[in-house]
Amino acid sequence: MKKTLCFSILLLLLSTLLAACNSGGEQSANADGKVEIDFFHRWPNEPRKSFYDEKIKEYMEQNPDVHINVDYVLNDAYKEKVRVLVSSDELPDIFTAWSDSFAENLVSSERIMPLNEVIQEDEEWSSKIIDSQFGGFTFDDTTYGIPFTVDGKAFFYNKAAFEENNIEIPKTYDELIEALDKLQSAGYEQPLVEGLTNTWAISHYLGTIFERVVDPAVLEKDYNSETAEFTDPGYVQGLEMFNELTSYMGEVSTAIDHEAARNMFAAGEVPILYMQFAEIKMVEEAGDVEFGFFDFPEVEGAKGDPTALTGAPEGWMVSKNAPEETIDFLKFLTSEETAADFTKTDGQLNAIEGAVTEENVNPASLEAYELITNASSTAPWFDNAVNINVADVFMRGGQSLATGQTTPEDILKEAQQEAENQK
Amino acid sequence: MIARRNRMIPALFILPSLLFLGIFIYIPLVQNFYNSFFDFSVFSPTKEYVGFSAFQQLLGDKVVMTALINNVKYAIISVIFQVAFALILATILEDKLFRRIAPMLRVIYFIPVMISISVIALLFNFIYNPQMGLLNSFLELVGLGNLAVPWLGNATTSIYAVIAMSQWQSIGFITMLFIVAIQKIPKELYEAANIDGAGKIRQFFSITIPQVKEALFVNMLITITGSMLVFNEPYILTNGGPGTSSMTLSVYMYQQGFFKDNMGYGSAVATLIFVVTAIFALIQIKVSGTGKDE
Repeated sequence: MKKTLCFSILLLLLSTLLAACNSGGEQSANADGKVEIDFFHRWPNEPRKSFYDEKIKEYMEQNPDVHINVDYVLNDAYKEKVRVLVSSDELPDIFTAWSDSFAENLVSSERIMPLNEVIQEDEEWSSKIIDSQFGGFTFDDTTYGIPFTVDGKAFFYNKAAFEENNIEIPKTYDELIEALDKLQSAGYEQPLVEGLTNTWAISHYLGTIFERVVDPAVLEKDYNSETAEFTDPGYVQGLEMFNELTSYMGEVSTAIDHEAARNMFAAGEVPILYMQFAEIKMVEEAGDVEFGFFDFPEVEGAKGDPTALTGAPEGWMVSKNAPEETIDFLKFLTSEETAADFTKTDGQLNAIEGAVTEENVNPASLEAYELITNASSTAPWFDNAVNINVADVFMRGGQSLATGQTTPEDILKEAQQEAENQK
Repeated sequence: MIARRNRMIPALFILPSLLFLGIFIYIPLVQNFYNSFFDFSVFSPTKEYVGFSAFQQLLGDKVVMTALINNVKYAIISVIFQVAFALILATILEDKLFRRIAPMLRVIYFIPVMISISVIALLFNFIYNPQMGLLNSFLELVGLGNLAVPWLGNATTSIYAVIAMSQWQSIGFITMLFIVAIQKIPKELYEAANIDGAGKIRQFFSITIPQVKEALFVNMLITITGSMLVFNEPYILTNGGPGTSSMTLSVYMYQQGFFKDNMGYGSAVATLIFVVTAIFALIQIKVSGTGKDE
């Protein structure tokens, strides 16, 4: 009797354990016959969270046989989580992705749906997406993502501070340094600021600087992990320039994040900030400084492209195993109507033609939009352009450089070694 | 029949725990060791056998060295503050003089243990903030403004700032364990010592410490292995930065595996962590000779 009791308890324990293991399986249709779409994005913060919640609701009302499960985590955590998900069969049906090496990595898992046919089948929808933005999602002539937001990076400056001190918009790097010196002597302890705890912010600086000082052909070779060498002396010059710029950022820069830096700019404490166009609306909401922007100035005598704009689109990817309805939802998310609403709510510019107009953005953003869509060439974010191991050497190196723990030569030596390891 | 059944039943009782241990501890441990001989990323469906090359890389990796040194700093400081200081704190709390307010103080010391580490890290981010942080404002207030530095943004102070937060959080837990141990000491020992004319300090060294030896050993084991595994605090506060100045082995392992997609190398770092903690545990078990009742 006792024995049977023992066994039955044990069986009970085991069965619950097994059941728990089982429940993780794929379910594309739920109990009441609805098709389920798993949607994963990276904006748990407002206003985008509510925006997407609203849009999901709207879509589900239009399509009563579809149920959308949404999940979201913030930027860096998102990068990590997607990497984990893509290695398992739990990849969400539709999710947001950056372009270039981030997208390429995901594609190499062979779990991402190629979208060429979808694009060709529905020209009415796909022709509205700005052509130049597809590049970062296309590998070997196959497109794996639909670009949605577009972005670029520029120096934003406080107009009042520039006028008071008679500073012209710098056209060259030397003029920028002069302007910083003038501002410093005018009483700004930190004429420039950046939140260097965010390593991506460092990569944005370095990426643009390298665009300016290194020959584009060399860059192209080094951005390809098969041929990367990082032996050009321009990299040392670039790192020295970055080091020079951090010397204007004051001690606090290595202890704050980009958001804090942006708030300092919006409060008028700091007159210059290197910032994304996507942030224009946030600055406007956080303070009342009047600001303009200028592209990262040309470096005289350097071999790089003096006008290349740094910035890359972000878009949507679809899992290979996604139910058919996902494509329809993707079209809904990238429709002109959704895109116009999106830019109106959030302020970030998008890659859908006709969805950025005077009606939904402010003049500064419109100016930026024209800059992005007309740029001679666009360079992807540095941490998306090169292998992440090499990018990490530069990003952590940038932090160490700002705290005076290393030299440009040492960083470059480490990067060369890391590039060698990746071959 | 009865004899056989008696042998069966204990085995059945430990079976569930063995099953759980096997699935969640031993199998992953072996798998991790196995993985460290391969080169693969989370994206790649195939693994490439590379033999001991990950371990060779480990030996030449400067960041591993920095991380190991940081972990050792963590361990040393934690033993001093959490074990030594917690023991003193526990003795004081158990003293007759404090009998009235001791329960309240115990709760106060224990509160940080119950707060989520993420919340604490956010809180300390505000304390260490260079612009409006509590710590720097306080230093300026008492005229030590020249000592104020951006604690988390400075390569020489960042790891200590992280360690300091851990001490604040964990001391209550260790204190609680010591209090329990001290309460088990027979009162007669102290009474006899009192009659013999021993002072409080003498009593502490001659009665309290020998009597809580076992707890002392367990707590040291907890703090030292905990220090070798520490992840949350540096990950949330600094993510190992600036540069690699506050990197610990666990953070480095995580970054190699999930940020840089070197799962094989990450596994090798994990193996290193396991070996280091195992060695520490063995040494401590050997030295303290616990388990054998004297």
